[in-house]
Amino acid sequence: MSQNRDLNGTISYQQALGNYHLQKQSLEGFPAAELSMDEQQLLKDFHPDHRQETMTTLQVGPNKGDRCHKQIADVLQADSRIDAADLAGARIQETDVLVIGGGGAGCAAALMAAESGARVILTTKLKLGDSNTVMAEGGIQASIEKGDTPQSHFNDTFKAGHKSADKELIKKLVMDGPETIRWLIQQGMQFDLNEFGDLLTRKAGGTSANRVVYFRDYTGLEMMRVLRESVKNSDVDVWDYSPAVELLSNESGHCAGAIISSLQDCRYVQIKAKTVIVATGGIGRVHLNQFPTSNHFGATGDGLVLAYRLGARLRDLDSFQYHPTGVAYPQHLSGTLITEGLRSSGAYIINALGERFVNELKPRDIVAAAIIRECEEGRGVVGDSASGSSDMRGVWLDTPGLEARNPGILKKRFPKLIQLGLKSKIDITQTPMLIYPTLHYQNGGVVIDENGRSGIEGLYCVGEVSGGIHGRNRLMGNALLEIISFGRKAGVSAVKDRKTRGHKQITIDHISNLRRELMQKNMPMSGKSPLLFPQYAQYDAEKNTTASNESSGFCGVCDQ
Amino acid sequence: MNNVLLHPDSLGTNLSEWLSGNGGTGLEKALSDPAGIISIIKEADLRGLGGSGFPSSKKWQFVAEQSANPDKYLICNGNEDEPGTFKDAHLLTHAPHQVIEGALITALASQINKIVFYINPEQTTSLDNVRIAVEQWETCSLFEQLQAQLETPLSIRVMASSGHYIGGEETAAIESVEGNFPFPRGKPPFPAVSGVHGCPTLINNIETLANVPHILKNGAQWFRELGAGSSTGTKIYCLSGDVLKPGVYELPMGTPLSELIDTYGGGMLLDKKIKAVFTGGASSSILTPRDIDVPLNFESVKERGSSLGTGAMIVVSEGTGIVKRVTEYVNFYAHSSCGQCPPCKTGTFYISQLLNKIDTGQASEYDLESLINLCKILPGSGRCHLLDGAMQVIDSSLTHFIDEYKSSLRP
Repeated sequence: MSQNRDLNGTISYQQALGNYHLQKQSLEGFPAAELSMDEQQLLKDFHPDHRQETMTTLQVGPNKGDRCHKQIADVLQADSRIDAADLAGARIQETDVLVIGGGGAGCAAALMAAESGARVILTTKLKLGDSNTVMAEGGIQASIEKGDTPQSHFNDTFKAGHKSADKELIKKLVMDGPETIRWLIQQGMQFDLNEFGDLLTRKAGGTSANRVVYFRDYTGLEMMRVLRESVKNSDVDVWDYSPAVELLSNESGHCAGAIISSLQDCRYVQIKAKTVIVATGGIGRVHLNQFPTSNHFGATGDGLVLAYRLGARLRDLDSFQYHPTGVAYPQHLSGTLITEGLRSSGAYIINALGERFVNELKPRDIVAAAIIRECEEGRGVVGDSASGSSDMRGVWLDTPGLEARNPGILKKRFPKLIQLGLKSKIDITQTPMLIYPTLHYQNGGVVIDENGRSGIEGLYCVGEVSGGIHGRNRLMGNALLEIISFGRKAGVSAVKDRKTRGHKQITIDHISNLRRELMQKNMPMSGKSPLLFPQYAQYDAEKNTTASNESSGFCGVCDQ
Repeated sequence: MNNVLLHPDSLGTNLSEWLSGNGGTGLEKALSDPAGIISIIKEADLRGLGGSGFPSSKKWQFVAEQSANPDKYLICNGNEDEPGTFKDAHLLTHAPHQVIEGALITALASQINKIVFYINPEQTTSLDNVRIAVEQWETCSLFEQLQAQLETPLSIRVMASSGHYIGGEETAAIESVEGNFPFPRGKPPFPAVSGVHGCPTLINNIETLANVPHILKNGAQWFRELGAGSSTGTKIYCLSGDVLKPGVYELPMGTPLSELIDTYGGGMLLDKKIKAVFTGGASSSILTPRDIDVPLNFESVKERGSSLGTGAMIVVSEGTGIVKRVTEYVNFYAHSSCGQCPPCKTGTFYISQLLNKIDTGQASEYDLESLINLCKILPGSGRCHLLDGAMQVIDSSLTHFIDEYKSSLRP
């Protein structure tokens, strides 16, 4: 095999494309990679979670002493945005259940709580449904096929999570799979069906059976469509453009509501609630170690910070999932996810030399680490003047090969991907796409029990903000299952557990505790969190929010 | 600091450790001369540390003079539910034996045969630890000697109170012990004459009782010398709010407020300026920076127009809205009113509405006038102290921070 390389040993986009086509036309095609690699060693050497130089130890809070990424520590150990003086004149609204977050988990929780007869307010930072849920493409796992069982689902999930997940949580998750699909269908969600009207299923990386049900390559979007409609048609009071900036506590330190920064009115509102469900999603938009991210604009880890300050314990803070197949070229689409459905349908991953180097159906962390290894060891594509980007790097996702083996599959099954190709001026049936791992999912989060309760009374956490279900690595399709399954459970038990007498007092005393700890440890008080928006959004929350009636007349986000 | 009640020798739930350290001697001395107990307590000038500051010896004497009908009760009051107060829970959790020994000596002094530990239900560790501690006492030889001396079986019951704020009031506690909702009763008859099931009943705060074994052991003179200036004994102060190191501090009674905040509390959080201190929990009035030198004892704080109360000091820094704080406290009272006395039921509700209106910038000058008028009319019109407490804190905030109220009004 002839190999194109620059004199300095790197392989440019065009050279790699040449290598690819050469190998594709050869008689042997792309033979399977040799699979004798030591997976644990691979993760240790190349997975970003194992890079000790990017880690630090937490100094304050319930997880004091734990290791985590420096950027996570920065937000967890920052000062609050709120001072007691900010609340003078802030309106107080009372409710039974407050849901913070307007993605899939928040909607499912709010719907169930409202159905149980509680007064429910759902606040969301942007607009209802504007979340990571809509970006889920691959599908949702449920053991509904003949020969598949919840036990196999359990085994796959536990194994993929490196045997560190909470078994009780997985048990609840897998047992709830079929019922969750039934509920979604009742809400009006569509799935791809065979000619008899049965649900179509497919395999995902790391699963032992066909277990993923899906709708085209926009399962999450379809899910969010029906959830949004259901919420709009329910009694849930939805507050758009209303990020939570702090939780409230009562006289016993239990959660008693939240302080909302209303972006439209530019003022703070206190919501006094009997129980609070935090469903704010993950933290990808802090771009750990400068990785591109597939995450939604709002994924700034707000819920993690709020719960931590109130004393909730977190887990697996050093564990993130890097989706192996994020777009690496063109750069303005960098981080955009290419569904794993493509790999589960049989697409190969090929390095710049035209070789397969990993079993594409291995769990995400293995595949991602293998891609990083190829690039670091000089077998990846690197940026050049032709691509207009110097820090670009990646490997090929072989869409032309997949199309050649299954004519028509791209158009039928992956219309969104074809669109993505067109946007990049690439015909993906002819030219492979350049990919690189993208920061995708926060594996850890707030420690919860099987109903989504955190360690703090009155505080529930569901969805990506919670931890323990996926251990240290998540299987495709388990996130959509988790948000609905645990969202619904939390909604029901939040109503059941609510205190009938309400809170005697609502305060922000826990913030004083945080400040005390920070002062005693001589830590800087300059940083503020929750971030609310990524740094590059340059949104100044303080400037745009007051507690009084005097609106500043300007609101950076909502154009009002 | 922490010389007596919170001294390491006073802590722990193991009875034999307590008896081999600070404990046991006080009860032994009491058993050798039961008739002399009250005079020692009187000489020591032990006060009710739950907020009243009433001389304990007088209360004990009243009950001692009553004849059993057929029983006599001692309620050890650990209902403690005021914002900013957490000393009794701390004592019961970490040092239950001195409290129990204090209760036993008190029972001997006033010839009481039924002791009830009445503890806030949210303090589950306190409840557990007291139960463990009581079981150990019941099999102890000193307990047998005490029963022999009393010439009647002595029972100790540990019960969770209802968790209502008003449950801490003496007559409400009596209702609660009888198994009823804690509605405060009218007085007279006073509990010393007719309390639980019509029997003479003595009610003492946990911290008061905890001091008793130490006084008996070391003598009245020793206790008097513990205090600063003319005060006697020590006091557990609950320091909270915007200070660097909040917590419980046992200091000589009469320690200046500034020393509590600066020396023990580590100064102000974020080095902000001090704006006000709510003394004695929320039901007392406000001290301002010019009172920072006040010795924290019953008389001196009273001279400054406030009261020591339970010894809770909630420190508020510049930047905190006083109207907001007062509103929070009054909301607490409105929530806690038992609804028995119409002036309290409607009064606390109405003033909490008014304050919320002022705090959120919706109120007019007329609303503020209504509030000021209500402060004159309402006090004294409830059976218990709840309404007065609520009005006192408003009245005091109006005196010191009227400008802040005015600036919150609608133009």
